[in-house]
Amino acid sequence: MGSMGSMHWLNWAIVGAWLAYNVWDGIRRSRRTDALEGYIVADRSLPWWVVGLSVMATQMSAITMIGGTGQGATDGLRFIQFYLGLPIAMVILGVTLVPYLHGAKVFTAYEFLERRFGPGTRSLTAFLFLLSRGLACGTIIAAPAVVFAAIFGWDVKWAVAMIGIPTVLYTVIGGVQAVAWLDVKQMVIIVASLVAIVVTLLIKLPVSPGEALHVAGAAGRLRAFDFSPNLANTYTFWSGLIGGTFLMLSYFGTDQSQVQRYLAARSVPEARTSLLMSAYWKIPLQALVLLIGVLIFTFYVFVRPPMLFNPAHERVARERAAGYAVLHAEYMDRMAGREQAAHRMVAARSDSELAEAVGQFKYFEVSGGVLRQQALNLVGGLTGESTRDVNYVMPRFVLDHLPIGLAGLFIAAVLAAAMSSIAAELNALATTTAIDFYRRWIRRAAGDAEIVRASKVATGVWGLIACVVAVYAVNLGSLIEVVNRFGSVFYGSILGVFLLAMMPRARGLGAFLGLLAGMGAVLTVILAAPAVSFLWHNVVGAVTAVVVGLGLSAIVRKPA
Amino acid sequence: MNAPADEERARFRRTLVRVMAVQVVALAVLWWLQATFSH
Repeated sequence: MGSMGSMHWLNWAIVGAWLAYNVWDGIRRSRRTDALEGYIVADRSLPWWVVGLSVMATQMSAITMIGGTGQGATDGLRFIQFYLGLPIAMVILGVTLVPYLHGAKVFTAYEFLERRFGPGTRSLTAFLFLLSRGLACGTIIAAPAVVFAAIFGWDVKWAVAMIGIPTVLYTVIGGVQAVAWLDVKQMVIIVASLVAIVVTLLIKLPVSPGEALHVAGAAGRLRAFDFSPNLANTYTFWSGLIGGTFLMLSYFGTDQSQVQRYLAARSVPEARTSLLMSAYWKIPLQALVLLIGVLIFTFYVFVRPPMLFNPAHERVARERAAGYAVLHAEYMDRMAGREQAAHRMVAARSDSELAEAVGQFKYFEVSGGVLRQQALNLVGGLTGESTRDVNYVMPRFVLDHLPIGLAGLFIAAVLAAAMSSIAAELNALATTTAIDFYRRWIRRAAGDAEIVRASKVATGVWGLIACVVAVYAVNLGSLIEVVNRFGSVFYGSILGVFLLAMMPRARGLGAFLGLLAGMGAVLTVILAAPAVSFLWHNVVGAVTAVVVGLGLSAIVRKPA
Repeated sequence: MNAPADEERARFRRTLVRVMAVQVVALAVLWWLQATFSH
Protein backbone atom coordinates (compact mmCIF):
# COMPACT_ATOMS: atom_id res chain seq x y z
CA MET A 1 0.00 0.00 0.00
CA GLY A 2 2.98 2.31 0.39
CA SER A 3 3.01 3.14 -3.29
CA MET A 4 -0.69 4.06 -3.49
CA GLY A 5 -1.36 7.73 -4.01
CA SER A 6 2.32 8.46 -4.58
CA MET A 7 4.50 7.01 -7.30
CA HIS A 8 8.30 7.19 -7.53
CA TRP A 9 9.51 10.32 -9.37
CA LEU A 10 11.19 8.17 -12.01
CA ASN A 11 7.83 6.64 -12.93
CA TRP A 12 6.29 10.10 -13.22
CA ALA A 13 9.26 11.25 -15.33
CA ILE A 14 8.57 8.39 -17.76
CA VAL A 15 4.86 9.31 -17.94
CA GLY A 16 5.66 13.03 -18.40
CA ALA A 17 8.26 12.34 -21.09
CA TRP A 18 5.82 10.10 -22.95
CA LEU A 19 3.03 12.73 -22.93
CA ALA A 20 5.44 15.43 -24.12
CA TYR A 21 6.76 13.15 -26.87
CA ASN A 22 3.21 12.52 -28.15
CA VAL A 23 2.51 16.23 -28.57
CA TRP A 24 5.95 16.91 -30.11
CA ASP A 25 5.57 14.04 -32.59
CA GLY A 26 2.08 15.25 -33.53
CA ILE A 27 3.42 18.73 -34.32
CA ARG A 28 6.39 17.25 -36.23
CA ARG A 29 4.01 15.29 -38.45
CA SER A 30 1.83 18.28 -39.28
CA ARG A 31 3.49 18.89 -42.67
CA ARG A 32 1.05 18.84 -45.62
CA THR A 33 -1.88 18.91 -43.23
CA ASP A 34 -3.08 22.24 -44.60
CA ALA A 35 -4.36 20.29 -47.62
CA LEU A 36 -7.61 18.32 -47.33
CA GLU A 37 -6.25 14.97 -48.58
CA GLY A 38 -3.25 15.32 -46.25
CA TYR A 39 -5.25 16.18 -43.15
CA ILE A 40 -8.08 13.66 -43.54
CA VAL A 41 -6.56 10.65 -45.33
CA ALA A 42 -2.78 11.32 -45.07
CA ASP A 43 -2.63 11.72 -48.89
CA ARG A 44 -3.67 8.05 -49.14
CA SER A 45 0.00 7.29 -48.65
CA LEU A 46 0.33 5.09 -45.56
CA PRO A 47 2.01 1.68 -45.86
CA TRP A 48 0.01 -1.40 -44.82
CA TRP A 49 1.90 -2.02 -41.59
CA VAL A 50 1.25 1.52 -40.33
CA VAL A 51 -2.47 1.19 -41.10
CA GLY A 52 -2.57 -2.30 -39.53
CA LEU A 53 -0.87 -1.20 -36.31
CA SER A 54 -3.06 1.92 -36.25
CA VAL A 55 -6.22 -0.22 -36.50
CA MET A 56 -4.92 -2.42 -33.69
CA ALA A 57 -3.96 0.53 -31.47
CA THR A 58 -7.36 2.14 -32.01
CA GLN A 59 -9.08 -1.05 -30.94
CA MET A 60 -6.87 -1.44 -27.89
CA SER A 61 -8.34 1.05 -25.46
CA ALA A 62 -7.25 1.70 -21.90
CA ILE A 63 -10.06 -0.58 -20.80
CA THR A 64 -8.53 -3.45 -22.77
CA MET A 65 -5.30 -2.91 -20.80
CA ILE A 66 -6.74 -2.54 -17.32
CA GLY A 67 -10.21 -4.10 -17.65
CA GLY A 68 -9.01 -7.00 -19.84
CA THR A 69 -6.32 -8.03 -17.37
CA GLY A 70 -8.75 -7.54 -14.47
CA GLN A 71 -11.27 -9.72 -16.28
CA GLY A 72 -8.59 -12.41 -16.71
CA ALA A 73 -7.85 -12.28 -12.98
CA THR A 74 -11.46 -12.44 -11.82
CA ASP A 75 -13.14 -14.37 -14.62
CA GLY A 76 -10.44 -16.21 -16.55
CA LEU A 77 -9.96 -16.67 -20.29
CA ARG A 78 -13.59 -16.94 -21.45
CA PHE A 79 -13.65 -13.28 -22.61
CA ILE A 80 -11.49 -14.40 -25.56
CA GLN A 81 -14.64 -15.81 -27.21
CA PHE A 82 -15.82 -12.24 -27.81
CA TYR A 83 -13.11 -11.90 -30.48
CA LEU A 84 -13.65 -15.18 -32.34
CA GLY A 85 -15.46 -13.41 -35.18
CA LEU A 86 -12.77 -10.76 -35.74
CA PRO A 87 -10.47 -12.64 -38.14
CA ILE A 88 -13.49 -13.85 -40.14
CA ALA A 89 -14.87 -10.31 -40.36
CA MET A 90 -11.51 -8.95 -41.51
CA VAL A 91 -11.31 -11.50 -44.32
CA ILE A 92 -14.90 -10.78 -45.45
CA LEU A 93 -14.27 -7.02 -45.40
CA GLY A 94 -11.00 -7.43 -47.29
CA VAL A 95 -12.79 -8.98 -50.26
CA THR A 96 -16.05 -6.99 -50.07
CA LEU A 97 -16.32 -3.48 -48.59
CA VAL A 98 -12.68 -2.39 -48.60
CA PRO A 99 -12.29 -2.36 -52.42
CA TYR A 100 -15.60 -0.42 -52.76
CA LEU A 101 -14.77 2.20 -50.14
CA HIS A 102 -11.10 2.68 -51.07
CA GLY A 103 -11.86 2.65 -54.78
CA ALA A 104 -14.59 5.29 -54.38
CA LYS A 105 -11.92 7.81 -53.17
CA VAL A 106 -14.27 9.13 -50.50
CA PHE A 107 -13.34 10.83 -47.23
CA THR A 108 -16.05 9.17 -45.14
CA ALA A 109 -17.91 5.89 -45.33
CA TYR A 110 -21.21 7.79 -45.35
CA GLU A 111 -20.21 9.83 -48.41
CA PHE A 112 -20.07 6.50 -50.27
CA LEU A 113 -23.69 5.81 -49.23
CA GLU A 114 -24.94 9.05 -50.84
CA ARG A 115 -23.47 8.07 -54.20
CA ARG A 116 -25.40 4.84 -54.00
CA PHE A 117 -28.62 5.71 -52.14
CA GLY A 118 -28.96 9.51 -51.91
CA PRO A 119 -28.50 12.14 -49.20
CA GLY A 120 -31.12 10.81 -46.73
CA THR A 121 -29.32 7.53 -46.00
CA ARG A 122 -25.95 9.30 -45.84
CA SER A 123 -27.13 11.95 -43.41
CA LEU A 124 -29.00 9.53 -41.13
CA THR A 125 -26.06 7.10 -40.82
CA ALA A 126 -23.60 9.99 -40.32
CA PHE A 127 -25.87 11.54 -37.69
CA LEU A 128 -26.20 8.23 -35.80
CA PHE A 129 -22.41 7.89 -35.88
CA LEU A 130 -21.90 11.40 -34.45
CA LEU A 131 -24.48 10.89 -31.73
CA SER A 132 -23.24 7.54 -30.48
CA ARG A 133 -19.50 8.07 -30.96
CA GLY A 134 -19.61 11.60 -29.53
CA LEU A 135 -20.91 10.17 -26.26
CA ALA A 136 -18.80 7.01 -26.47
CA CYS A 137 -15.63 9.09 -26.85
CA GLY A 138 -16.40 10.62 -23.45
CA THR A 139 -16.75 7.21 -21.87
CA ILE A 140 -13.41 6.07 -23.40
CA ILE A 141 -11.74 8.94 -21.51
CA ALA A 142 -13.84 8.44 -18.37
CA ALA A 143 -12.99 4.78 -17.77
CA PRO A 144 -9.20 5.18 -17.22
CA ALA A 145 -9.69 8.65 -15.66
CA VAL A 146 -11.82 7.16 -12.87
CA VAL A 147 -9.14 4.57 -12.15
CA PHE A 148 -6.30 7.13 -12.11
CA ALA A 149 -8.35 9.45 -9.88
CA ALA A 150 -9.09 6.69 -7.36
CA ILE A 151 -5.54 5.35 -7.32
CA PHE A 152 -3.66 8.63 -7.12
CA GLY A 153 -6.31 10.42 -5.05
CA TRP A 154 -6.85 13.14 -7.70
CA ASP A 155 -9.94 15.05 -8.68
CA VAL A 156 -11.30 13.26 -11.75
CA LYS A 157 -11.14 16.53 -13.76
CA TRP A 158 -7.33 16.43 -13.63
CA ALA A 159 -7.25 12.82 -14.78
CA VAL A 160 -9.55 13.68 -17.70
CA ALA A 161 -7.34 16.67 -18.56
CA MET A 162 -4.15 14.57 -18.45
CA ILE A 163 -5.60 12.18 -21.03
CA GLY A 164 -7.72 14.59 -23.07
CA ILE A 165 -5.57 17.71 -23.56
CA PRO A 166 -2.47 16.14 -25.21
CA THR A 167 -4.68 13.95 -27.40
CA VAL A 168 -6.79 16.86 -28.64
CA LEU A 169 -3.64 18.92 -29.26
CA TYR A 170 -1.85 16.41 -31.47
CA THR A 171 -5.05 15.36 -33.27
CA VAL A 172 -5.96 18.98 -34.12
CA ILE A 173 -2.44 19.83 -35.28
CA GLY A 174 -1.42 16.67 -37.14
CA GLY A 175 -4.64 15.09 -38.43
CA VAL A 176 -4.73 11.44 -39.52
CA GLN A 177 -1.03 11.48 -40.45
CA ALA A 178 0.04 12.24 -36.88
CA VAL A 179 -2.55 9.95 -35.31
CA ALA A 180 -1.63 6.91 -37.45
CA TRP A 181 2.15 7.24 -36.98
CA LEU A 182 1.72 7.83 -33.24
CA ASP A 183 -0.50 4.75 -33.09
CA VAL A 184 2.51 2.70 -34.25
CA LYS A 185 4.63 3.99 -31.34
CA GLN A 186 1.72 3.61 -28.93
CA MET A 187 1.34 -0.01 -30.00
CA VAL A 188 5.06 -0.59 -29.39
CA ILE A 189 4.91 0.81 -25.84
CA ILE A 190 1.72 -1.20 -25.12
CA VAL A 191 3.26 -4.51 -26.22
CA ALA A 192 6.58 -3.69 -24.47
CA SER A 193 4.81 -3.04 -21.17
CA LEU A 194 2.73 -6.25 -21.48
CA VAL A 195 5.85 -8.33 -22.13
CA ALA A 196 7.69 -6.64 -19.23
CA ILE A 197 4.78 -7.46 -16.92
CA VAL A 198 4.72 -11.12 -18.02
CA VAL A 199 8.47 -11.43 -17.35
CA THR A 200 8.13 -9.73 -13.92
CA LEU A 201 5.23 -12.00 -13.00
CA LEU A 202 7.12 -15.15 -13.99
CA ILE A 203 10.11 -14.00 -11.89
CA LYS A 204 7.97 -13.06 -8.87
CA LEU A 205 5.77 -16.17 -8.80
CA PRO A 206 6.98 -18.54 -6.07
CA VAL A 207 6.00 -21.58 -8.19
CA SER A 208 6.91 -22.74 -11.70
CA PRO A 209 4.77 -21.60 -14.67
CA GLY A 210 3.32 -25.14 -14.99
CA GLU A 211 2.36 -25.21 -11.31
CA ALA A 212 0.88 -21.72 -11.62
CA LEU A 213 -1.32 -22.96 -14.49
CA HIS A 214 -2.52 -25.89 -12.33
CA VAL A 215 -3.54 -23.45 -9.58
CA ALA A 216 -5.29 -21.17 -12.11
CA GLY A 217 -7.03 -24.19 -13.66
CA ALA A 218 -8.31 -25.34 -10.26
CA ALA A 219 -9.96 -21.93 -9.85
CA GLY A 220 -11.60 -22.26 -13.29
CA ARG A 221 -9.53 -19.38 -14.73
CA LEU A 222 -8.35 -21.36 -17.78
CA ARG A 223 -11.80 -22.19 -19.13
CA ALA A 224 -11.66 -20.41 -22.49
CA PHE A 225 -14.58 -22.05 -24.33
CA ASP A 226 -18.26 -22.41 -23.53
CA PHE A 227 -20.27 -24.20 -26.23
CA SER A 228 -23.69 -23.76 -24.59
CA PRO A 229 -26.26 -22.30 -27.02
CA ASN A 230 -27.30 -19.57 -24.58
CA LEU A 231 -28.43 -16.37 -26.31
CA ALA A 232 -28.31 -14.43 -23.04
CA ASN A 233 -24.61 -15.07 -22.50
CA THR A 234 -22.23 -12.76 -24.39
CA TYR A 235 -19.20 -14.96 -23.77
CA THR A 236 -20.00 -18.24 -25.51
CA PHE A 237 -18.39 -19.80 -28.57
CA TRP A 238 -21.50 -19.21 -30.70
CA SER A 239 -22.14 -15.63 -29.56
CA GLY A 240 -18.51 -14.81 -30.32
CA LEU A 241 -18.36 -16.60 -33.63
CA ILE A 242 -21.70 -15.48 -35.14
CA GLY A 243 -22.68 -12.35 -33.18
CA GLY A 244 -19.01 -11.33 -32.95
CA THR A 245 -18.52 -11.60 -36.71
CA PHE A 246 -21.48 -9.25 -37.33
CA LEU A 247 -20.29 -6.83 -34.65
CA MET A 248 -16.76 -6.72 -36.08
CA LEU A 249 -18.12 -6.37 -39.64
CA SER A 250 -20.14 -3.35 -38.45
CA TYR A 251 -17.26 -1.87 -36.49
CA PHE A 252 -14.49 -2.29 -39.05
CA GLY A 253 -16.65 -1.95 -42.14
CA THR A 254 -18.92 0.99 -41.35
CA ASP A 255 -17.52 2.95 -38.40
CA GLN A 256 -15.68 6.02 -39.65
CA SER A 257 -13.05 5.73 -36.89
CA GLN A 258 -11.90 2.45 -38.49
CA VAL A 259 -12.76 3.15 -42.14
CA GLN A 260 -10.73 6.38 -42.11
CA ARG A 261 -7.64 4.29 -41.24
CA TYR A 262 -7.74 2.10 -44.32
CA LEU A 263 -8.91 4.91 -46.59
CA ALA A 264 -5.45 6.34 -45.81
CA ALA A 265 -3.68 3.25 -47.18
CA ARG A 266 -1.66 3.52 -50.42
CA SER A 267 -3.79 1.06 -52.36
CA VAL A 268 -6.61 -1.50 -52.04
CA PRO A 269 -4.18 -4.45 -51.59
CA GLU A 270 -2.34 -2.50 -48.85
CA ALA A 271 -5.65 -1.66 -47.16
CA ARG A 272 -6.63 -5.35 -47.26
CA THR A 273 -3.29 -6.51 -45.93
CA SER A 274 -3.51 -3.99 -43.08
CA LEU A 275 -6.83 -5.48 -41.97
CA LEU A 276 -5.46 -9.02 -42.20
CA MET A 277 -2.48 -7.93 -40.11
CA SER A 278 -4.71 -6.82 -37.25
CA ALA A 279 -6.67 -10.06 -37.67
CA TYR A 280 -3.36 -11.92 -37.25
CA TRP A 281 -2.57 -10.55 -33.85
CA LYS A 282 -5.86 -9.71 -32.19
CA ILE A 283 -6.65 -13.12 -30.67
CA PRO A 284 -3.05 -13.90 -29.55
CA LEU A 285 -2.68 -10.37 -28.11
CA GLN A 286 -6.02 -10.52 -26.34
CA ALA A 287 -5.12 -14.00 -25.00
CA LEU A 288 -1.85 -12.52 -23.67
CA VAL A 289 -3.78 -9.72 -21.90
CA LEU A 290 -6.14 -12.26 -20.29
CA LEU A 291 -3.27 -14.61 -19.39
CA ILE A 292 -1.53 -11.75 -17.59
CA GLY A 293 -4.72 -11.41 -15.55
CA VAL A 294 -4.70 -15.15 -14.85
CA LEU A 295 -1.06 -14.94 -13.70
CA ILE A 296 -1.93 -11.98 -11.43
CA PHE A 297 -4.68 -14.12 -9.89
CA THR A 298 -2.11 -16.88 -9.27
CA PHE A 299 0.36 -14.36 -7.86
CA TYR A 300 -2.29 -13.23 -5.37
CA VAL A 301 -2.83 -16.86 -4.32
CA PHE A 302 0.72 -16.82 -2.91
CA VAL A 303 0.89 -13.15 -1.87
CA ARG A 304 -2.02 -11.83 0.23
CA PRO A 305 -4.36 -9.85 -2.08
CA PRO A 306 -6.18 -6.68 -1.08
CA MET A 307 -9.81 -7.46 -0.16
CA LEU A 308 -11.00 -4.43 -2.13
CA PHE A 309 -8.92 -3.42 -5.13
CA ASN A 310 -10.26 0.15 -5.40
CA PRO A 311 -8.07 2.05 -2.90
CA ALA A 312 -10.64 4.85 -2.48
CA HIS A 313 -13.30 2.31 -1.50
CA GLU A 314 -10.87 0.48 0.75
CA ARG A 315 -10.28 3.75 2.63
CA VAL A 316 -14.03 4.33 3.01
CA ALA A 317 -14.52 0.78 4.30
CA ARG A 318 -11.68 1.09 6.84
CA GLU A 319 -12.84 4.44 8.17
CA ARG A 320 -16.63 4.19 8.04
CA ALA A 321 -17.89 0.61 7.67
CA ALA A 322 -18.76 -1.09 10.94
CA GLY A 323 -17.85 -4.76 10.71
CA TYR A 324 -15.29 -4.31 7.91
CA ALA A 325 -12.34 -5.15 10.19
CA VAL A 326 -13.95 -8.47 11.15
CA LEU A 327 -14.75 -9.31 7.52
CA HIS A 328 -11.19 -8.38 6.51
CA ALA A 329 -9.65 -10.64 9.18
CA GLU A 330 -11.89 -13.55 8.14
CA TYR A 331 -11.03 -12.96 4.48
CA MET A 332 -7.30 -13.03 5.21
CA ASP A 333 -7.80 -16.36 7.07
CA ARG A 334 -9.50 -17.84 3.98
CA MET A 335 -6.74 -16.51 1.74
CA ALA A 336 -4.13 -18.16 4.03
CA GLY A 337 -6.09 -21.42 3.76
CA ARG A 338 -6.23 -21.02 -0.05
CA GLU A 339 -2.47 -20.54 -0.21
CA GLN A 340 -1.82 -23.68 1.90
CA ALA A 341 -4.20 -25.68 -0.31
CA ALA A 342 -2.36 -24.40 -3.41
CA HIS A 343 0.98 -25.53 -1.97
CA ARG A 344 -0.55 -28.97 -1.23
CA MET A 345 -1.91 -29.09 -4.78
CA VAL A 346 1.52 -28.34 -6.24
CA ALA A 347 3.20 -30.94 -3.97
CA ALA A 348 0.53 -33.69 -4.43
CA ARG A 349 2.02 -37.10 -5.25
CA SER A 350 -1.17 -39.01 -5.99
CA ASP A 351 -4.52 -38.33 -7.67
CA SER A 352 -6.35 -38.60 -4.35
CA GLU A 353 -4.00 -36.06 -2.70
CA LEU A 354 -4.48 -33.75 -5.65
CA ALA A 355 -8.28 -34.11 -5.60
CA GLU A 356 -8.38 -33.36 -1.87
CA ALA A 357 -6.16 -30.29 -2.24
CA VAL A 358 -8.23 -29.03 -5.20
CA GLY A 359 -11.42 -29.46 -3.12
CA GLN A 360 -9.93 -27.45 -0.25
CA PHE A 361 -8.63 -24.79 -2.64
CA LYS A 362 -12.08 -24.39 -4.19
CA TYR A 363 -13.71 -24.16 -0.73
CA PHE A 364 -11.42 -21.31 0.37
CA GLU A 365 -11.74 -19.61 -3.04
CA VAL A 366 -15.55 -19.65 -2.93
CA SER A 367 -15.96 -18.77 0.75
CA GLY A 368 -13.37 -15.97 0.39
CA GLY A 369 -15.38 -14.70 -2.60
CA VAL A 370 -18.54 -14.56 -0.47
CA LEU A 371 -16.76 -12.47 2.19
CA ARG A 372 -15.36 -10.14 -0.47
CA GLN A 373 -18.84 -9.65 -1.89
CA GLN A 374 -20.13 -8.74 1.57
CA ALA A 375 -17.39 -6.11 1.87
CA LEU A 376 -18.25 -4.74 -1.59
CA ASN A 377 -21.91 -4.49 -0.57
CA LEU A 378 -20.91 -2.61 2.60
CA VAL A 379 -18.98 -0.05 0.52
CA GLY A 380 -21.79 0.17 -2.03
CA GLY A 381 -24.23 1.02 0.75
CA LEU A 382 -21.94 3.77 2.08
CA THR A 383 -20.87 5.40 -1.19
CA GLY A 384 -23.80 4.69 -3.50
CA GLU A 385 -21.20 4.05 -6.23
CA SER A 386 -20.65 0.97 -8.38
CA THR A 387 -18.36 -1.39 -6.47
CA ARG A 388 -17.24 -3.42 -9.49
CA ASP A 389 -13.47 -3.35 -9.06
CA VAL A 390 -12.27 -5.36 -12.07
CA ASN A 391 -10.56 -2.26 -13.48
CA TYR A 392 -8.46 -1.79 -10.34
CA VAL A 393 -6.83 -5.24 -10.15
CA MET A 394 -4.08 -4.53 -12.69
CA PRO A 395 -3.16 -0.94 -11.65
CA ARG A 396 -3.08 -2.05 -8.02
CA PHE A 397 -0.75 -4.94 -8.83
CA VAL A 398 1.47 -2.68 -10.95
CA LEU A 399 1.86 0.01 -8.30
CA ASP A 400 2.28 -2.39 -5.38
CA HIS A 401 4.57 -4.97 -6.94
CA LEU A 402 6.27 -3.78 -10.13
CA PRO A 403 9.85 -2.45 -9.91
CA ILE A 404 10.53 1.28 -10.32
CA GLY A 405 10.37 2.30 -13.95
CA LEU A 406 8.05 -0.50 -15.03
CA ALA A 407 5.10 1.07 -13.20
CA GLY A 408 5.75 4.29 -15.14
CA LEU A 409 5.99 2.31 -18.37
CA PHE A 410 2.63 0.68 -17.62
CA ILE A 411 0.88 3.99 -16.86
CA ALA A 412 2.37 5.40 -20.09
CA ALA A 413 1.07 2.34 -21.97
CA VAL A 414 -2.45 2.79 -20.53
CA LEU A 415 -2.32 6.45 -21.58
CA ALA A 416 -1.10 5.34 -25.04
CA ALA A 417 -3.99 2.90 -25.37
CA ALA A 418 -6.50 5.55 -24.28
CA MET A 419 -5.05 8.27 -26.50
CA SER A 420 -4.91 6.15 -29.66
CA SER A 421 -8.59 5.22 -29.30
CA ILE A 422 -9.67 8.78 -28.50
CA ALA A 423 -7.61 10.32 -31.31
CA ALA A 424 -9.18 7.99 -33.90
CA GLU A 425 -12.66 8.90 -32.64
CA LEU A 426 -11.89 12.64 -32.71
CA ASN A 427 -10.46 12.34 -36.24
CA ALA A 428 -13.56 10.51 -37.40
CA LEU A 429 -16.07 12.75 -35.59
CA ALA A 430 -14.41 15.88 -37.02
CA THR A 431 -14.17 14.47 -40.55
CA THR A 432 -17.83 13.39 -40.53
CA THR A 433 -18.90 16.81 -39.18
CA ALA A 434 -16.86 18.69 -41.80
CA ILE A 435 -17.53 16.48 -44.84
CA ASP A 436 -20.99 15.01 -44.26
CA PHE A 437 -22.62 18.06 -42.69
CA TYR A 438 -20.61 21.28 -43.12
CA ARG A 439 -19.65 20.76 -46.77
CA ARG A 440 -22.81 18.82 -47.69
CA TRP A 441 -25.47 21.02 -46.10
CA ILE A 442 -23.97 24.36 -44.99
CA ARG A 443 -21.19 25.44 -47.38
CA ARG A 444 -21.31 23.41 -50.59
CA ALA A 445 -18.88 25.82 -52.27
CA ALA A 446 -16.31 25.64 -49.47
CA GLY A 447 -12.72 25.18 -50.65
CA ASP A 448 -10.28 22.63 -49.27
CA ALA A 449 -8.58 25.12 -46.94
CA GLU A 450 -11.93 26.02 -45.39
CA ILE A 451 -12.83 22.34 -44.87
CA VAL A 452 -9.47 21.70 -43.18
CA ARG A 453 -10.12 24.67 -40.87
CA ALA A 454 -13.62 23.34 -40.17
CA SER A 455 -12.14 19.88 -39.38
CA LYS A 456 -9.63 21.39 -36.97
CA VAL A 457 -12.32 23.40 -35.19
CA ALA A 458 -14.59 20.33 -35.10
CA THR A 459 -11.76 18.20 -33.61
CA GLY A 460 -11.33 20.78 -30.82
CA VAL A 461 -15.07 21.05 -30.18
CA TRP A 462 -15.57 17.26 -30.12
CA GLY A 463 -12.56 16.97 -27.81
CA LEU A 464 -14.15 19.47 -25.44
CA ILE A 465 -17.50 17.66 -25.59
CA ALA A 466 -15.76 14.31 -24.91
CA CYS A 467 -13.94 15.73 -21.87
CA VAL A 468 -17.14 17.26 -20.45
CA VAL A 469 -19.05 13.99 -21.04
CA ALA A 470 -16.16 12.13 -19.36
CA VAL A 471 -16.33 14.27 -16.21
CA TYR A 472 -20.08 13.70 -15.93
CA ALA A 473 -20.00 10.04 -17.02
CA VAL A 474 -17.86 9.36 -13.96
CA ASN A 475 -20.81 10.11 -11.71
CA LEU A 476 -23.30 8.38 -13.96
CA GLY A 477 -22.02 4.82 -14.15
CA SER A 478 -25.21 3.76 -15.87
CA LEU A 479 -24.65 6.31 -18.66
CA ILE A 480 -21.81 4.18 -20.01
CA GLU A 481 -24.18 1.23 -20.14
CA VAL A 482 -26.85 3.35 -21.90
CA VAL A 483 -24.33 4.59 -24.48
CA ASN A 484 -23.18 1.05 -25.27
CA ARG A 485 -26.77 -0.21 -25.57
CA PHE A 486 -27.70 2.78 -27.71
CA GLY A 487 -24.96 1.91 -30.21
CA SER A 488 -26.12 -1.68 -30.48
CA VAL A 489 -29.59 -0.50 -31.62
CA PHE A 490 -28.34 0.64 -35.02
CA TYR A 491 -24.86 -0.83 -35.53
CA GLY A 492 -26.15 -3.95 -37.30
CA SER A 493 -28.67 -2.00 -39.38
CA ILE A 494 -25.95 0.33 -40.70
CA LEU A 495 -23.95 -2.75 -41.69
CA GLY A 496 -27.07 -3.96 -43.52
CA VAL A 497 -27.19 -0.70 -45.52
CA PHE A 498 -23.52 -1.04 -46.53
CA LEU A 499 -24.18 -4.63 -47.64
CA LEU A 500 -27.13 -3.36 -49.68
CA ALA A 501 -24.84 -0.75 -51.26
CA MET A 502 -22.84 -3.60 -52.82
CA MET A 503 -25.96 -5.25 -54.27
CA PRO A 504 -26.93 -3.82 -57.69
CA ARG A 505 -30.65 -4.57 -57.08
CA ALA A 506 -30.90 -2.36 -53.99
CA ARG A 507 -32.48 1.07 -54.39
CA GLY A 508 -32.26 4.24 -52.28
CA LEU A 509 -35.74 4.17 -50.76
CA GLY A 510 -35.48 0.43 -50.03
CA ALA A 511 -32.15 0.91 -48.27
CA PHE A 512 -33.42 3.85 -46.20
CA LEU A 513 -36.53 1.95 -45.09
CA GLY A 514 -34.41 -1.19 -44.53
CA LEU A 515 -32.22 0.85 -42.14
CA LEU A 516 -35.30 1.99 -40.20
CA ALA A 517 -36.76 -1.55 -40.19
CA GLY A 518 -33.46 -2.97 -38.89
CA MET A 519 -33.40 -0.51 -36.01
CA GLY A 520 -37.08 -1.23 -35.30
CA ALA A 521 -36.39 -4.98 -35.20
CA VAL A 522 -33.51 -4.52 -32.74
CA LEU A 523 -35.62 -2.26 -30.52
CA THR A 524 -38.35 -4.92 -30.54
CA VAL A 525 -35.84 -7.59 -29.47
CA ILE A 526 -34.47 -5.32 -26.71
CA LEU A 527 -37.98 -4.69 -25.36
CA ALA A 528 -39.45 -8.18 -25.88
CA ALA A 529 -36.39 -10.23 -24.90
CA PRO A 530 -34.09 -8.02 -22.80
CA ALA A 531 -31.98 -11.01 -21.73
CA VAL A 532 -30.66 -11.62 -25.27
CA SER A 533 -26.99 -10.55 -25.48
CA PHE A 534 -26.26 -7.36 -27.45
CA LEU A 535 -23.99 -9.38 -29.76
CA TRP A 536 -27.10 -10.89 -31.35
CA HIS A 537 -28.65 -7.43 -31.93
CA ASN A 538 -26.12 -6.86 -34.72
CA VAL A 539 -27.23 -10.05 -36.48
CA VAL A 540 -30.92 -9.11 -36.17
CA GLY A 541 -30.32 -5.52 -37.40
CA ALA A 542 -28.15 -6.48 -40.37
CA VAL A 543 -30.35 -9.36 -41.59
CA THR A 544 -33.57 -7.32 -41.24
CA ALA A 545 -32.08 -4.31 -43.05
CA VAL A 546 -30.89 -6.46 -45.96
CA VAL A 547 -34.12 -8.51 -46.29
CA VAL A 548 -36.45 -5.49 -46.00
CA GLY A 549 -34.16 -3.32 -48.14
CA LEU A 550 -34.02 -5.87 -50.97
CA GLY A 551 -37.75 -6.65 -50.75
CA LEU A 552 -38.79 -3.00 -50.89
CA SER A 553 -36.28 -2.26 -53.67
CA ALA A 554 -37.94 -4.99 -55.77
CA ILE A 555 -41.43 -3.58 -55.10
CA VAL A 556 -40.38 0.03 -55.78
CA ARG A 557 -38.68 -0.95 -59.04
CA LYS A 558 -41.55 -2.91 -60.53
CA PRO A 559 -43.98 -0.04 -61.32
CA ALA A 560 -41.12 1.86 -62.94
CA MET B 1 -1.30 -7.85 -68.59
CA ASN B 2 -2.81 -9.49 -65.50
CA ALA B 3 0.48 -10.36 -63.84
CA PRO B 4 0.31 -7.70 -61.07
CA ALA B 5 -3.32 -8.62 -60.30
CA ASP B 6 -2.44 -12.33 -60.17
CA GLU B 7 0.48 -11.57 -57.92
CA GLU B 8 -1.76 -9.51 -55.64
CA ARG B 9 -4.31 -12.30 -55.47
CA ALA B 10 -1.62 -14.85 -54.65
CA ARG B 11 -0.20 -12.57 -51.93
CA PHE B 12 -3.67 -12.09 -50.44
CA ARG B 13 -4.23 -15.87 -50.41
CA ARG B 14 -0.84 -16.46 -48.75
CA THR B 15 -1.58 -13.84 -46.06
CA LEU B 16 -5.03 -15.32 -45.57
CA VAL B 17 -3.63 -18.81 -45.01
CA ARG B 18 -1.11 -17.42 -42.50
CA VAL B 19 -3.81 -15.46 -40.65
CA MET B 20 -6.00 -18.52 -40.33
CA ALA B 21 -3.02 -20.67 -39.26
CA VAL B 22 -2.21 -18.20 -36.45
CA GLN B 23 -5.84 -18.27 -35.30
CA VAL B 24 -5.96 -22.06 -35.32
CA VAL B 25 -2.71 -22.31 -33.34
CA ALA B 26 -3.88 -19.67 -30.80
CA LEU B 27 -7.24 -21.43 -30.32
CA ALA B 28 -5.53 -24.84 -30.08
CA VAL B 29 -3.22 -23.52 -27.33
CA LEU B 30 -6.22 -22.13 -25.42
CA TRP B 31 -8.06 -25.43 -25.84
CA TRP B 32 -5.00 -27.33 -24.58
CA LEU B 33 -4.79 -25.03 -21.51
CA GLN B 34 -8.46 -25.67 -20.73
CA ALA B 35 -8.24 -29.43 -21.30
CA THR B 36 -4.98 -29.92 -19.39
CA PHE B 37 -5.30 -27.66 -16.38
CA SER B 38 -9.02 -27.34 -15.57
CA HIS B 39 -9.95 -29.57 -12.65
